[in-house]
Amino acid sequence: MRILVVDDEPDFVDAVARGLRLEGYAVDTANNGDEALDKATYTPYDLICLDLTMPGRDGLELCDSLRIGILDYPPPRILMLTARGTLSDRILGLDAGADDYLVKPFSLDELHARIRSLLRRDAGRSGAVLHVGGLLLDTARHRVEVEGLEIHLSPKEFSLLHYFLTRPTVVVSQEELLEHVWDENADPFTHTVRVTVGTLRRKLLASGAVDTIDTIVGKGYRFLPGGGVR
Amino acid sequence: MITWIRGKISRLPPASIRLRLAVFHSTLLFGVAAVVVGVIYQNVSRVLNDEPISRSPVLVELVGPADTNELGSEDRLGFRGFEQEINRRALSQLRVYSVVALAVLFLASLAIGWYVSGLLARPIGQIAAVARKIQATDLSRRISLGGPLDEFRELADTFDDMLDRLDTAFEVQKNFIQEASHELRNPLAVMRTNLDVVMEDPGAEIQDFRSAGEVARRAASRMSVLVEDLLLYAYHERPNLERDPINLAVIVEETVTDFRAAAESEGIEFVTDIAERLPVIGDSAALRRGLVNLLSNAIRVSVPHSCVMVTAGHDDEKVWLSVRDEGPGIAPAEVDQVFQRFWRGDLASARGEGRSGLGLAIVRQIAEGHGGRVTLRSAVGSGSTFTIWLPRYVDHGE
Repeated sequence: MRILVVDDEPDFVDAVARGLRLEGYAVDTANNGDEALDKATYTPYDLICLDLTMPGRDGLELCDSLRIGILDYPPPRILMLTARGTLSDRILGLDAGADDYLVKPFSLDELHARIRSLLRRDAGRSGAVLHVGGLLLDTARHRVEVEGLEIHLSPKEFSLLHYFLTRPTVVVSQEELLEHVWDENADPFTHTVRVTVGTLRRKLLASGAVDTIDTIVGKGYRFLPGGGVR
Repeated sequence: MITWIRGKISRLPPASIRLRLAVFHSTLLFGVAAVVVGVIYQNVSRVLNDEPISRSPVLVELVGPADTNELGSEDRLGFRGFEQEINRRALSQLRVYSVVALAVLFLASLAIGWYVSGLLARPIGQIAAVARKIQATDLSRRISLGGPLDEFRELADTFDDMLDRLDTAFEVQKNFIQEASHELRNPLAVMRTNLDVVMEDPGAEIQDFRSAGEVARRAASRMSVLVEDLLLYAYHERPNLERDPINLAVIVEETVTDFRAAAESEGIEFVTDIAERLPVIGDSAALRRGLVNLLSNAIRVSVPHSCVMVTAGHDDEKVWLSVRDEGPGIAPAEVDQVFQRFWRGDLASARGEGRSGLGLAIVRQIAEGHGGRVTLRSAVGSGSTFTIWLPRYVDHGE
C-alpha cells in the first residue's frame, strides 16, 4: 500500500513517514499542497495523510482538486491530520472529501488503526484479518500464518503478500507493485520486485503452503489460493 | 409531589415581595383609615354630648325657657332621657358602620395592593426568568422588555447591554483559546509522533533516539516561547493598570542600549534620534516590552550591514516612537494583517526560528491599552516603519 504524507512541518512529516514505513507501507512525503498535487497526479496513491492548514494550497483545496477527477485512476483515500479540532472544522474537512479525520496530537497506534480501516474499504473486506486459501494475514498484529503456524516475513514481504491477498487470481504487473508496494525512492530499473517476490515465494514454499505465486512472463504475477490449476 | 410544589413556589420569587408590598400597602391604608374614622367618631360623640338638644335654642324657642314654660321639670327630665337614648343609638350605629367600613376597606386595600404590586413585580419576574435561562456558554438570550420607557424598561435594557458586552467578551475569549490550542497542538504533535515512532521501532539505534530527542527539544522550546507570549498577550488584553507619568525618552534610550551590542554582533547598526523629553502616562514595563518586540522584529528582518533607525518625538498632542528597518518589507495586502495574532510572514521559517506570531499583536495591545495606536508603513523591497503613537502628557503644574 502506498501512502503520501503531506504537512508543512518537516519534523512531523519525517516522523509519520518513518512510523508508517515500520508497518511496511511505501511512504512518500510532501511539504506543501502544490508538491502533494504534483506527486498525486503521477502516482496512484492508496491513501493520502493530509494537513488542513498549509501555506499556499491548503488541505481543503487539495481535497477538492483530487476529487474533481483530474486523476486517471480512482482518487486515493484521504485521512486529514490536523491541529484544528473543533466540530465545525471536522465537518468542513469531512465534507470537503476527507474519508477520516484525526486531530493532532494523536497516538501512532491510532493512526495505524485508522489507516488499516481506510485501506480495508478498498479491498471490500470488513475485518482486519484476511483469510485466503491456507493463509491467514492479520493486518493489525502484522502476523502471517500458514495452516496455523506463524511464518516470519520482512515488512516489504508482508506488504507484498497483503497486496496479493486482496487480489487473488488477478494478474498484477511489476509496475503496479512498484507503484503500490514500493515508494518513490525505489529504483524501477533494479530487480527489487523480482527479488522480493522470489523470497516471499520461497518462504511460503518452505512453510508448506499450498498457495503459490505464479510468474506470468511478460505480464506479471498472480496469487493462486490452494495452488490453483496449472 | 412536595418537590414539585417547592419547585412551583421557587419559580415564583416575586410572590414574596408582592405579598410584602400588598400587606404593607393595605396596613398603611388601614391605619390611616382607622385614625380618620376614630377622629370622626370622637368628634361626633363629643358634639352630641356637649350640645344636648334639650338646651338648644331651637327647643327653647319651641317650648319656651326652662323657668317660664308650662312644661314641668319632670317633662324636661323625660325629654332629656329620650334625647340621650337617641344619641346612644346614633353612636352605636356609627360604631357599627365604622367597623364595617374599616373591614371592607382593609379587604379592598389588600386586594388592590396585591393587584398593584403584581403589576410592579411582573417585569421583575420576566427579567428574572430570562436571567435564570442564561447559561455561561449561551449568552444569546435577551430580555427585550417591551412597553413604555419606564424604570423597568431601563433596567431590562441595561441588562441586555451588559449581556451584549459579556457575549462579545466570551466570543473573543473562546476564539483566542481555540487559536492558542491549535498553535500548541502542532509542536505537541511533532513531539508525540517522533517519540512514538522511536519507542515503537524495535531496531531503533542510539542515533535515532538522539535525533528524536533533538526534535522534541526544538518543539519544546517552540512551545515555551509560545506559552510565554500567550501569557503576555492575555496579560495585556485588559486595560493598562499602571498609570504613572513617565519620560518615554529614557525608556527608549535604555532599551536601545540593551539591544545595541546584540545588533552590532550581527552587523546591524542602530541610528537614533530621540527627543529629550517625551512625557506620557503609562506602564513603563509594558512600553519597554512593546519597544523590545519592535526592535527584535527589526533585527530579525535586517540583513547584515544595514541599519535600524529609532526615532522619537512629539507634537502638541501626541508622542511618537518609530522603528525603521531596511528589511524586505511587507506586501500592501498583508499590512493590515501583521498586527493580528498568530500572523507570521513566512510560516515555515517562523517555525524554524521558534516565533509565536504574537509579538506585533502584543505591541498593538500595549499601544491601545495606553490610549494610543500603532501604524505600519511599508513597501516590498524598501523596509518597514512601525510607529507607536501615544497621547502626550501635559503637566499643568510646571
